[in-house]
Amino acid sequence: MNRKLALAGGSLAVLAILAAATPAAVLGANAPGGTGSGSAPITVGFGQAALIALGYYLANSPWLFGLAYYTLFRPLVAGLLVGLILGHPAEGTLIGAAINVPYLGFISAGGSYPSDVAFAGWVGTTIALAGGLNPAAAIAVAIPLGLLGTLVFYGRMSVSAVFAHWADDRAEKADINGVAFMNVVPGQILLFVISFVPVFLLALNGPGFVKDAIDRLPLWFSDGLVIAGGILPAIGIALTMRFIFRGSAIPYFFIGFILFTFSGGSMSLVVIAAIGVALAYLHLTFTGGLAPKSTEAAAEIATAPVLMTSDETAPAGRHLTRGDVLRSWITWSFFSHANYNYERLQGTGFAHAMTPIIRKLYTTPDEIRAALKRHLVFFNTEPNFGNVIHGAVIALEEQRANGAPIDDDAINSVKSGLMGPISGIGDTLSQSTIAPILLALGIGIAGGTATGSSIPNFAPGSTGNVLGPIIYVALVSVIIVGIGYVAWMQGYLRGRAFVTDLLRSGTIDRVLTGAGVLGNLVLGALAAKVVTLYLAPTVSIYGAQLNIQASVLDPIFPGVLALGLVLITFWLLRRVSPLWILAGMLTFSIIAAFPFFGPGPQNPNDYSYQACTSSLLHKYAPCGVPPAPSAAPQASPSPAASTAP
Amino acid sequence: MSLRLVRIVDRLIHGQVVAGWLRALGARRIVIVDDATARDEFLRDVLTLAAPSDVPVEVLNIADGAIRCIELAASPEPVFVLARSPRTVLGLRQAGVPIEVVDLGGMGSGPGRKRLHKTISISPDELAELRELERLGTRVEIQIVADDRPIPFRSLDSTH
Repeated sequence: MNRKLALAGGSLAVLAILAAATPAAVLGANAPGGTGSGSAPITVGFGQAALIALGYYLANSPWLFGLAYYTLFRPLVAGLLVGLILGHPAEGTLIGAAINVPYLGFISAGGSYPSDVAFAGWVGTTIALAGGLNPAAAIAVAIPLGLLGTLVFYGRMSVSAVFAHWADDRAEKADINGVAFMNVVPGQILLFVISFVPVFLLALNGPGFVKDAIDRLPLWFSDGLVIAGGILPAIGIALTMRFIFRGSAIPYFFIGFILFTFSGGSMSLVVIAAIGVALAYLHLTFTGGLAPKSTEAAAEIATAPVLMTSDETAPAGRHLTRGDVLRSWITWSFFSHANYNYERLQGTGFAHAMTPIIRKLYTTPDEIRAALKRHLVFFNTEPNFGNVIHGAVIALEEQRANGAPIDDDAINSVKSGLMGPISGIGDTLSQSTIAPILLALGIGIAGGTATGSSIPNFAPGSTGNVLGPIIYVALVSVIIVGIGYVAWMQGYLRGRAFVTDLLRSGTIDRVLTGAGVLGNLVLGALAAKVVTLYLAPTVSIYGAQLNIQASVLDPIFPGVLALGLVLITFWLLRRVSPLWILAGMLTFSIIAAFPFFGPGPQNPNDYSYQACTSSLLHKYAPCGVPPAPSAAPQASPSPAASTAP
Repeated sequence: MSLRLVRIVDRLIHGQVVAGWLRALGARRIVIVDDATARDEFLRDVLTLAAPSDVPVEVLNIADGAIRCIELAASPEPVFVLARSPRTVLGLRQAGVPIEVVDLGGMGSGPGRKRLHKTISISPDELAELRELERLGTRVEIQIVADDRPIPFRSLDSTH
């Protein structure tokens, strides 16, 4: 465990050096300034739309070793790829990162699917990039797309059940290849058609449509969308807090927030993550978390049967080699969700994964038929940590093939008994801890400036950094595949004893506690980076005009409003559905952009003090201090004013 | 009424239960009622260990479960009750456990089972048991995750 922690720390340090050494200016590009103006038009051609549609299909497909869900599915990664396809990787990355924030706490468990994150990412980035939208405004456009995209998922989940019955027919004929075929081919043809067509059409026509719509809207309304882009991320932060903002890890969230805010937004998320790893180690040491909970485990290992044999030493009988077990793992890694459907969920995927085992262990058609049918039933678990079940089932199948008295019930009860509890742990580990923390890190890295410093993602002058998605993909892939491999092999070698030993040893609790410390620190910093709201109005105190934000709040605690918003959203999430919060925030943002107190901005780049203070909230940055009555240059220009073109 | 939710889900403790429902319900204790699971020492261990460490889990058969649930229903502590089948819940209800709402959370398909809604499939026997529960005054609802809006079973059971 300590070695793994050291390893993680080491790789983070290497990545930090990489991130620091890469000239951000090469990778970076200036974010578009307004909502519909400024930057050179980007068009989406026929071939580009096809590539984007293919990317969206791949995001839900099995072809990336089952890693699509942790990579192409996430808007952070989709943003980079859409950016590459359209020739603007850095801008695409910044937009993808922005769209990803509300989905930071996204999980799909037990066939539920609150939003199609991939649809929001692939289509949202395309529309925002080619429609010339500000990354912040892209969030408001992407969220409805995410809801629309769930139709693709529901369609597939309903129709694919039919293919499970086709697999049943092949099993009846003892046709091993036929079952594998039915798990992959029909479902993927269906998925390709229902994914490719809508995304292709939207990528081709969406940007123009949205650009026209935005151009027709009053200026304050578009500004409202940008303001929403600073407020909506609070939902993603708060949803993620539901998983990790608890117990003794809570203070680290505030430390992360304060570190970022009081470094003036210049502290890199990589540095904050490195501090997080150190703090996690200290936290575990000083709370006694590193000591094993029980010594019971060691005794059980000694008595656990060692089933693994290599090619050379295989004794007589039907024995599996390391290669067979690996082939089964690889099949599962690729195709666990190839035919995901409401009726059996991963049922056909499980049977497919067992095909290398069945082929090796069973020879008569009757045996093969029985084995295929045994594994075609309803099954659903977390597909990485949950691999202990598959490993244990393979061991049972091997014993059974060699005459051990193991009946269908024994195998079924291991599967059906374990899939629930194990997916509970697996989802907590992978979907609700590892993925959001690494995403927070990647999103944090994805927004920076041309000089390499880290600033709020939507501030003018903010650039995209393609290292964000690249580092995220590298880390998440290694960790997820690593968990899957170890779980599979240990499940096979040590069977059910591994499960109880692991749970008793407290290793999972330690990992979750340590990850909670690191996660809260990074999440707090990310909250400071992406949740932004700036009060615009001025008040008159003893005759002096004071801007509430710049003259009252910022000198005491900059970012206090953002922090308050996050905490209120977290509190609200226990009582109100995220969709209502979202609708409320969007409405509020647009109302808050209305010029109640003055004439309002005259053009998208009007950052004058008068325009800035005309509404309730201002986009991008505080309004600064009032201009001195006589001098022409402003004494202390606001960041918005100084960087505006 | 502190039995926060009685939920029928064939995977018992799983992702959504641990991650979402405990939080949504504010429950700090899980009672699992299932005859077969209560007999299996390994599964009892795994279920007990799989829940968050600060949430005690009890795995009981129907007879013991009914006694325990009646006791817990009278205490102020919020409790989350899990069962694998409508028969178990009907057993609890008939033994006098005050169950206001039963939630169908996940019931896998299989031979002779008809899909009612998304991941909820039921057999003819279960259909009869659910109707009996409704007749006894227990509301039957489908709510797969805590953020979903509950769907009344009545609205999906076409013969009502």
